[in-house]
Amino acid sequence: MLKMTTDLPLLSVRNITKAFGAVQALQGISFDIAPGEVVALVGDNGAGKSTLVKIISGLYKASSGEFALRGQTCHFETPADALKAGIETVYQDLALIDQLDVADNVYLGREVLRGSGFLGRLFGVLNRATMRRETAAALSQLHIKIPAPTMPVRMMSGGQRLAVAIGRAVTWGRELLILDEPTAALGVEETEQVLRMIEELRQKQRMTFMIISHNMQDVYRVADKIVILRQGRHVATLRKTETTLEEIVAYITGAKQKRVER
Amino acid sequence: MTATRDWRAFAQQYGLLFSFLVLCVALSLVSDRFLNPDNLLNILRQSTINGIIAVGMMMVILTRGIDLSVGSILALSTIMAADMLQQGWNAYAAAGFCLLVGGVLGLLNGFLVSRFAIPPFIATLGMMTFARGLALSYSEGQPITGLAADFRQWGTGFLGPIPLPIVVAAVIFLLGYVLLNHTPLGRYIFALGDNERAAFFTGLPTKNILLFVYVLSGALAALAGVILIGRLNSAQPTAGLGYEFDAIAAVVIGGTSFDGGEGTIFGTLIGVLIIAVLSNGLNLLDVPSPFQDVAKGAVIALALLIYRALR
Repeated sequence: MLKMTTDLPLLSVRNITKAFGAVQALQGISFDIAPGEVVALVGDNGAGKSTLVKIISGLYKASSGEFALRGQTCHFETPADALKAGIETVYQDLALIDQLDVADNVYLGREVLRGSGFLGRLFGVLNRATMRRETAAALSQLHIKIPAPTMPVRMMSGGQRLAVAIGRAVTWGRELLILDEPTAALGVEETEQVLRMIEELRQKQRMTFMIISHNMQDVYRVADKIVILRQGRHVATLRKTETTLEEIVAYITGAKQKRVER
Repeated sequence: MTATRDWRAFAQQYGLLFSFLVLCVALSLVSDRFLNPDNLLNILRQSTINGIIAVGMMMVILTRGIDLSVGSILALSTIMAADMLQQGWNAYAAAGFCLLVGGVLGLLNGFLVSRFAIPPFIATLGMMTFARGLALSYSEGQPITGLAADFRQWGTGFLGPIPLPIVVAAVIFLLGYVLLNHTPLGRYIFALGDNERAAFFTGLPTKNILLFVYVLSGALAALAGVILIGRLNSAQPTAGLGYEFDAIAAVVIGGTSFDGGEGTIFGTLIGVLIIAVLSNGLNLLDVPSPFQDVAKGAVIALALLIYRALR
């Protein structure tokens, strides 16, 4: 029994397809992510990476196929369902609320309330002090430097905003963290910080990641396994230890043809 | 709000208060009746109806919406409540029924906007005509006059030395402040207005948040109606014409952004008072009514220009 649970993949994607009208965005994608693994999802523009992420994070429904979290098939109707299941996604456009401050963003939808009245979540009164303190503690543990948890997000740099978004995901994500193009808009130093954060979280907390990226250098550095999509098809799953950057690029561009292994 | 604001919002807020004070000082200089305590109390009393409606309107505008139907909702809900009073309902039941009708009409607005993605302008424009038509046909075009004395208290009564409508409006503003700034729902309203997609990605129940603000706006319009018919001792199917204008004007003058997600309840309060003081001042100065509208329109345009410049 114990052996079974340890062998169970954290996320198992089985033959997922997605059609938008006549357009086949995904044509039967299958792969597994083991607990504690960092998997990169790569492919050219239009390969279907974002579509797949949106299915797993509850924004889209697959046309066919399914995916399971620790062996339990998931039926997500909304992003809220995915979040409840412990899957946190940091989107390319960050999905932070500019007008709210850092603490309000980190706790958005999961506010800490003073007491617990029967009117519950909606009409309880916010416990700002606790949320700010916890936010500051959580972010500093991740070596994320922000001026203050009371700072509105709109006044922060791109790197700071991403750090807050990742900080929120790490704070709440129990199972899987999906990062959609985490380094696309960052400078060299900020990119380095984000990559180091991923490596550290993985080593110290055995956190599981799925990373979507265009940047092959970044992918090659942090990923254990690379899943390559091309024009909606799954063309290869490669272990980093058994492949090269050149081979990955060859699969992405179509210079090399389908080879799928677990 | 709290320390989360930057200097610009700070300047906006205090600039507004400053303008209000300048307006008051100017009026007290040109009219010796302005600072008379009776006149000041009168201004407050007159601003209660617009104030209560404006709190709901502000929540709607924070979500990038608009509610054009508040005047018609007020008319239909009060006509029906007055009819129930005629049939012998007590003052609390009739007032509660009035709020219920307003809330249900708001729910219809909310359904159209949140579930069918109909633009708020169109959905509430439809409701504006629909509710007005229902009010006219329900009452056969006739006002219902002569309401029960205990119901009239809502409009004419006192709590100690303070007129009851002012107490009610003050409570609504206070609750509005607590809701917007100290509850999760308030955070969600700001979040939804600022970035609906991000709010949805974050797992917020965006459709129900939208539903809530329209229900609130409808119910508050009906509450304003309770005060109005209590004071007039008469419910009229043509009541509330143009009320949406005053409420929107107050909210906009108060600094709430039509781009959503930005605004303060304090600003809305000052916006309501500016409109009331302006009307009062123009009356004191014997400015003819049509020109009063011109002046109000000009003030709104000016306020918007200033906010644009401040951005």
